[in-house]
Amino acid sequence: MYILQAIVNGILLGGTYAILGLGMSLSLGIVRLTNLAHGEYIVLGAYTSMLLQAWLGIDPFLSLVISVPFLFLAGYLIQRFLVNKAMKNGEEPALLVTFGISVILKDAMLLVFGADARHLSADYGNVTVNLAGLGIPLLNILLLILSGTSILLLHLFLQRTYTGRAIRAVSDDAGAASLSGINVGNTFSIAAGIAAATAAAAGLCAGMKWTWYPSSGGRYLLIAFVIVVIGGLGNVGGTFAAGMVFGLIQAVGGASYGMLISYVFLILILTLHPHEAFLRFSDKRRKTCEEGIMQEPSVAREDQNASE
Amino acid sequence: MHRNDPHKGIRTVLYTAVFLLLLAAGLTGFPGNNILRYGFRILLYITIGEMWNLLSGYAGMTSLGQQAFIGLSGYTLAVVTTRYGLPYPLGILLGLLISLAAAFLLSLFLLRIDGMYFAITTWVVAEALGTLFMSMTYVNRGAGMTVTAEPYPRIGRLFVMALLLCSLSLVLAELLLRSGYGLGIMAMRDDPEAAEAAGVNVKLAKRAVYIFAAGVTALAGSLFFLNKGTIYPESGFDIGWTISMVFIVIIGGSGTIEGPVIGAVLYVLLSEYLARYPGWSNMILGAIAILMILFCPRGIVRFSPRPKDHLTKAR
Repeated sequence: MYILQAIVNGILLGGTYAILGLGMSLSLGIVRLTNLAHGEYIVLGAYTSMLLQAWLGIDPFLSLVISVPFLFLAGYLIQRFLVNKAMKNGEEPALLVTFGISVILKDAMLLVFGADARHLSADYGNVTVNLAGLGIPLLNILLLILSGTSILLLHLFLQRTYTGRAIRAVSDDAGAASLSGINVGNTFSIAAGIAAATAAAAGLCAGMKWTWYPSSGGRYLLIAFVIVVIGGLGNVGGTFAAGMVFGLIQAVGGASYGMLISYVFLILILTLHPHEAFLRFSDKRRKTCEEGIMQEPSVAREDQNASE
Repeated sequence: MHRNDPHKGIRTVLYTAVFLLLLAAGLTGFPGNNILRYGFRILLYITIGEMWNLLSGYAGMTSLGQQAFIGLSGYTLAVVTTRYGLPYPLGILLGLLISLAAAFLLSLFLLRIDGMYFAITTWVVAEALGTLFMSMTYVNRGAGMTVTAEPYPRIGRLFVMALLLCSLSLVLAELLLRSGYGLGIMAMRDDPEAAEAAGVNVKLAKRAVYIFAAGVTALAGSLFFLNKGTIYPESGFDIGWTISMVFIVIIGGSGTIEGPVIGAVLYVLLSEYLARYPGWSNMILGAIAILMILFCPRGIVRFSPRPKDHLTKAR
């Protein structure tokens, strides 16, 4: 019974883990950038919901109406005015710029909110639903629903809208997309904005589930990274599945050992199959493309830089 | 400095004179404890900055996890001196050996990973070590450990040790880069496939640089914690170490020997000055680093708008 309880909790928690990884998956898959500030975006999302709850007295879930656009804007502007510029000089300058942003955001939040542990609470936070003999926290179910809905919406957006198609086109081949009249820099910025917007939802989930500090971003970033590596880059469905797997690891391994297991897991995956893991995104299309013109990945990267 | 330098003799004399002057200052304790304390920090930051520079600027391996070796050596020092009551030089030596061994083991799988994934994985490794030390009773978990030494080394002596370490690492880095190895390492950074085709043993060169940088960083870590006296998982495996290395190298100029020296002096003075505004210092350092990357990617020592030029003109 204990095992069953742990498994159910792990799957329910998986929703929260999935949404932590969602934005990272987008920015790695589309912008091909490791955004080291993504963890801080998540923490910022949690603080935004906290402030809205305190000032307006609204339910944390309702605060998403404001925190999602706010983080979208922040992510968009940072990508547009800082990161895009650095990406012209290669991937490492861009990585270091996001590292700088992460440091700045972390200390800014420490200055504004103090070092205290915070938690988003709601009156239904401790309600337990009894299902077939298992006590399941209502909160976990709600978070899973939120995470699932966000992931579904994002999937539909990427598949059905013009902007979504443009984003996928840029991630497949920035040079060709640019020739077809897509503004690559702007598309990157929109994708980065969306990634940051998912951080608002992720911050809400993490903030309701655990306590957080201004310095929690690093932990969230690592979780996100593990999820992305398990689930595959830019693969929205895979991210959801990876969240479940990660949730199970955490539930079975316990808090600190679960984390350690996932670190080791991540390192193993990276070591054994680095390229497979990272190029799984739209792999079929890429393969046919590469077979067709035998294009070297490094050439494609130069095209991308030239086209900005 | 790997350029053909017409003033090589003069430079050597100058550097030797500076070294002797600093050595005398440390041995006599003449400048006073405060100045020596600044000097101690500057020398160690030059050392770790230079090692990060060797990895990132010269060998193209941007690591965000060098704090792993600082934490390992710091903890070894604490365990050896406090738990076993042995003298601290033995702790430093053991810390070095453990870090070298760890670097060798890590290199077995880290070197299979390229670019930004290498950066992330090194960071994950350091975080994993921090988490591990946080839950190990052997090192008192999160409560931290103290470093004991009888008699505790004075700041003058620490300064001399830092000076020796810094000079030795600079000379060794310089020799390494001037050797055929160094050219191979730089060729590898610019184009790994071409370097491999031209006969550079890329794997061996990368491993050598990675282990060397780890060893020197570990020694610097021991000295930091010998001075500090206490170590916690959060301070030993702090990502802040990497933040300072990145700052020092970016400000000074990556891929030069002189760059991190200037960067470290600026870093220590700036962070000391900014300590008056608690909370703001990292933000200001981060903003300066971002501006430098965007507008002056080659650092202070090569203030010129055309990037990557030095690679073709240098030799």
